[in-house]
Amino acid sequence: MATSNVAPSFQGSPVSQRSVREIADAWQPRRSIRWGLIARHSILMLFSLSVLLPLAWVVIRSLVSLPDGTQNEILPQNWVSPLFEHYQWVLEKRPDVRANFWNSVLVACLTVVASTITAVLGGYALVHLPTPFKGVISAALVASLFFPTRVTAITGIFEIQDRLGFINKTWALVFPYTALNVAICIFIMRGVFQGVSSEILQAAHVDGASSLRTLIGIVLPIIKNGVVVVIIVSFVAAWGEFLLALTLMNDADQRTLPVFIGTVTGGVGGLLWPRIAALYIMAILPGLVVFAVAQRWYTKGLQEGALKA
Amino acid sequence: MATVQATATRATLDARPTRPAWVRSLWSFARTYPYLLPAIVFFVGWQVLPIVSAARLSFTDDRFLDQLSANFIGLDNYRRVIRDELFWRGVLRAFTFTCIFVPGMILIPMLIAVLLDRVENGFLSTFYRIVLLIPSMIPAPLIIILWVWLYNNYIGPINFILVDVLGIYDIRSQPQWLVDPKLTFLSIAVMEWWWGLGYHTMFFLAGLAAIPKDLFAAARIDGASEWRMFWSITWFRLLPIILVLMVVRFGSAMAVIDEYIIAGGFDRSRSTYTWTVYMYDTAFGGGDQFRGYAAAIGWVGALMMLIVVCFMFWLFRSRD
Repeated sequence: MATSNVAPSFQGSPVSQRSVREIADAWQPRRSIRWGLIARHSILMLFSLSVLLPLAWVVIRSLVSLPDGTQNEILPQNWVSPLFEHYQWVLEKRPDVRANFWNSVLVACLTVVASTITAVLGGYALVHLPTPFKGVISAALVASLFFPTRVTAITGIFEIQDRLGFINKTWALVFPYTALNVAICIFIMRGVFQGVSSEILQAAHVDGASSLRTLIGIVLPIIKNGVVVVIIVSFVAAWGEFLLALTLMNDADQRTLPVFIGTVTGGVGGLLWPRIAALYIMAILPGLVVFAVAQRWYTKGLQEGALKA
Repeated sequence: MATVQATATRATLDARPTRPAWVRSLWSFARTYPYLLPAIVFFVGWQVLPIVSAARLSFTDDRFLDQLSANFIGLDNYRRVIRDELFWRGVLRAFTFTCIFVPGMILIPMLIAVLLDRVENGFLSTFYRIVLLIPSMIPAPLIIILWVWLYNNYIGPINFILVDVLGIYDIRSQPQWLVDPKLTFLSIAVMEWWWGLGYHTMFFLAGLAAIPKDLFAAARIDGASEWRMFWSITWFRLLPIILVLMVVRFGSAMAVIDEYIIAGGFDRSRSTYTWTVYMYDTAFGGGDQFRGYAAAIGWVGALMMLIVVCFMFWLFRSRD
């Protein structure tokens, strides 16, 4: 057996190093069945299934034939053919829904850009620049997190948007949306910036780089995982916002997708259930795709300090 | 010589900022505040101003649809709110939900995090994390809509399993998850737990990663059981996270509104008609949209929440 890895001290003996280690392992006290391990994984599996099964149910719903859509059986008697007919139907036969979808895309993209720029610049100023009144600004942002702004401010937001002529203008939702994100996104970025050593910045300063140049050229590549977290957080918040979009938009074609899905009724008089399910899958897909693409940086970014906030 | 030169340099360095202090502070403002400008514009323009504007509105009899200009009526709206039975019932409903929701939103993710932290298999560990994070990638209103379907009597799979598969209930006795006042808040809490599972687990995992591993090794050598180690090491290390999450989740649970509107509409008899829905209904719903009164409801609710949050911070202050 193993000839090359026989230890010098065991020369002549048939016991290799590997088998010594195996014997040592076998000697360790071990329960015959590792109940703890089994229990741990079954609980985690149970929770994972509880996450996946409801979503799988919606996917199945979006693929059943229309008569089966009114039944509560989980698996249908007939699948719709062609299989993605409901998706096609929603995209082709409902131009208003298509308009709502693009409204959501527009608002979400604008909000992501505005929130990310705001948070990166703000976090940088709060951590690495000699900004006067840092404490006051941070305190105001913290206080806003504990104030029920979404509820209390909504009459005021309506008034301001009304005065600016922004009622019924979908793109203008970017202002209140970014405002709702601003505190949490700045805190995420602040946590991330605190992980960047200030020596790097001082070195750049000594070399004569301006603060903006340092941010873009040196700091940004270091904190890119944190930026991904901010992008995802602000995207999910803007893509799904319901209350303001419901309140500030009057016309059906100015609404966003969540408002449409949230107010549509299934069954008679509304869309048929399988078609709503198809629309639902289309509505949650962008978020899941972004997550699938950015998942690696996202979890890394969370660990790099985004959760310290 | 060298010392003389050093003091000379020192003197010139000290002498350089002979410009008056206000010029220097103006300069540091000018250099740093452009970075904060977008944050200040959004924060002041669409958070601070609306709150102030709601406060101003709450002292008027502004009704949006009556086309008349608003009059200042002092504290009348506030007097009315304090005597408004519907408002207090709404606060009580929101508080009931909070009491059901907050403990679960902290304890379940903590349990998962403790279990997940021990998973050694790299693939499974990543798998669990990603799967549990999926709901947090779905926007809140779409989560609600999903669960409204799951709880539905006609097409929902939950009652299908309970009635048709297991036969525990029949059609008349099946649970009315979102209608029965005894079940509504539990049903909504389950939905919110489902949504926050992965996200909150991440907080606890970050907390667990910060605990030095040799603490456990030392405890194990001393013969401590897993249970003992959890209570004497893990629990205390996680306590700050638990307290912060308690305050944050109290704030979000008392002010829940989207969930109630989507799941229950504006039906005053249902338990989903909390103070937040009452406020929204008054401001944007039926009648002549009495915005002045709605703003007062919003402010009374917000002030009560702030008092509780301050009390919680005082209670949880670090006593070192």
